[in-house]
Amino acid sequence: MTPRRPNPIAGFLAARLHLHRDDMLRTAVVLALSIIAAFAVHPLGEVASALVFVLGITIAGALSGLAAALIAALAAFLVHNFYLTEPALTFRIATGGDIAPLVVFNLCALVSGVLAGQLKDHAQAARSSNQQLQSLLALSQQLQSAIRLPDVVATVERAIHDILGARAALFRFEGETLRSLASVEAHWQAFAERIAAQAGPSGENGLVGRRLQPANSPDAVLVLESLRRERVAPAFIDAVANMVTLALERAALAEQITERQAVARAEQLKTALLASVSHDFRTPLTAISASASSLIAYGEKLDPETSAGLLRGIVEECERLNRYTANLLEMSRLEAGGVAQPLQILGAAEMVAAALHRVRPRAGGRQMLLQAPAPDLLVAANAALFELVLINILDNAILYSEEDARVEIAIFAEQGACRIDIADSGQGIPEAALRRVFERFYRAGRSEAAGRGNGLGLAIAKGFVEALGGTIEATVPGLDGRGTRITIRLPLAEASKA
Amino acid sequence: MTNILLVDDEPALIAVLKPVLGAEGYSVATASGGAAALRMAEDIKPEVVLLDLGLPDIDGKDVIRALRATSTVPIIVISARHQEGEKIAALDNGADDYVNKPFEIGELMARIRAAIRRSSSLENAPGTYRSGPLEIDFPARRVSLAGDTVKLSPKEYDLLRTLALSAGQVVTHKRLLAVGWGSDTADSQYLRVYIGLLRQKIEEDPSDPRLLVTEPGVGYRLASAS
Repeated sequence: MTPRRPNPIAGFLAARLHLHRDDMLRTAVVLALSIIAAFAVHPLGEVASALVFVLGITIAGALSGLAAALIAALAAFLVHNFYLTEPALTFRIATGGDIAPLVVFNLCALVSGVLAGQLKDHAQAARSSNQQLQSLLALSQQLQSAIRLPDVVATVERAIHDILGARAALFRFEGETLRSLASVEAHWQAFAERIAAQAGPSGENGLVGRRLQPANSPDAVLVLESLRRERVAPAFIDAVANMVTLALERAALAEQITERQAVARAEQLKTALLASVSHDFRTPLTAISASASSLIAYGEKLDPETSAGLLRGIVEECERLNRYTANLLEMSRLEAGGVAQPLQILGAAEMVAAALHRVRPRAGGRQMLLQAPAPDLLVAANAALFELVLINILDNAILYSEEDARVEIAIFAEQGACRIDIADSGQGIPEAALRRVFERFYRAGRSEAAGRGNGLGLAIAKGFVEALGGTIEATVPGLDGRGTRITIRLPLAEASKA
Repeated sequence: MTNILLVDDEPALIAVLKPVLGAEGYSVATASGGAAALRMAEDIKPEVVLLDLGLPDIDGKDVIRALRATSTVPIIVISARHQEGEKIAALDNGADDYVNKPFEIGELMARIRAAIRRSSSLENAPGTYRSGPLEIDFPARRVSLAGDTVKLSPKEYDLLRTLALSAGQVVTHKRLLAVGWGSDTADSQYLRVYIGLLRQKIEEDPSDPRLLVTEPGVGYRLASAS
């Protein structure tokens, strides 16, 4: 298999003797001007006009290359011989004096034409290498913004096409098989496999390829198709290949970082969960254990009021444990995907009233008011979870407020949604924490009350509301220029819209 | 009436402990944070401090250090089991004892009684320790079990004496190592061997110790004097 190489001399001449229309025009003008000048200086003697022609031929060669110079030399010789040498108006090549202009003119044409051609070649080479440098720069700039693997693939294919005018494809090893990262023709795949196996030349049938070996990710193959006629230097392809290799390495690194971050986040969550379980289970358990063992050990020593208080405490703490367990359960359920089906059509005010009823024993002296429209607004939701969410928010309002605080719940329809506002005149939330309160296990501030929250309530509320296509937000102030306002918007159920 | 300062940020626990401790004849003051606790310790000069390690404002260890700077009041730490490291650090910082959450009230009362007994015995050194069949005569350095003299090596006696002087309270590995080997960084394996020897001599069933019990990861506790 020998690739056809063009004959170097033929190629050289083909390039040198190639003549554009512009060149012909320029040569004709130069020739015409030299003929006029030659006639003008003829009275000074034959030598003077011959020198004018030499000048003209040199200019033609410098401007338009070898072919133009040779044509000009021939034309100049004919004019010179026919008109300007004795005997005039006849062609004569008899003496040395007749031949000398022919030889000198052509030698002059050759020298000037070849020199001009070389100059042009150098300029052309400089232009082309400059262009390639520009291409590499542009490619590197575009690759820089490609962070993930699919971006790298897309950028390589698009940028190489835009900048080099060549189609390109990237193949990557997945295990033992080389897979294209975009759709390509069969012979591209076959070529890429030969490149990968290093079993053939790095270029054939207008395709060139390079095997890429990124340090931290599977090997890949870059295949380019040259659309332009120009031959691209192998070093240039190597440079492109290096750049793509770097981009692949960077993409692999970025991926690893993302993975590690995900692992770290999961780890963080696990730690938070363990700390929460440890604290939020142990605390009620401690109170229950201490109360129950006190009743056993000192039952008769305690006055009836204390005994009743201890028993009430046991019931309350059991309820707290139960709530916490439900919260944990719902949290993991929401995590696993969405709200448990089936959804029921529920009255918003009815649900809030039920939740109020449940939290009132813990509310102490706080005033809790509900304002709701008649008829009730209907939403589709999971009843147990909806109640839990409302209880969580109401509990927060109680937990983070003084005994004499107010809690106002307002329900109204707003743009096809059921809006539930729960506002309190409690401690409020620092502006900076307004978004974070919906994160799991986040407790705003480190106040005394914070110990009683479990950092799950609002996270569950957010998960629940969003699973139903609604929104939830926390704003300050709530009531009387202080406290917090939680706003829930849930889509109205069909029956309510009508 | 003995004053107890209860430092805890859990209203539920305060609601239980306050009346029950009251019924036991203690007068109870409560603080829900470290700063408040330090102020009240100044004011009421409690005989015992019950301190929850997980306070909202100040690290429990810092509260202990601050208390220790001015007084020798017995401090009993209430901690969760997962705070193992915290607990040991608290004991190293000067806490006298601890109870794990959740606890039974009897356990807490026993700790309080042991703490009070030890702090009063610091003022007038006790001559003897007696718990069940075990009797220690400190001035005579004599240990007897149900009337029969028990022969102990000097190191065994030193360890047992240290435990007996803090009877009913936990004594950390560190302290026992310092007593027996002069360095609290000595290998605790030695200590385990000597405790084993002591148990052979004083326990009825060394594999099921009743007098000299292990506090896992923290130290040992000798039964309260009866």
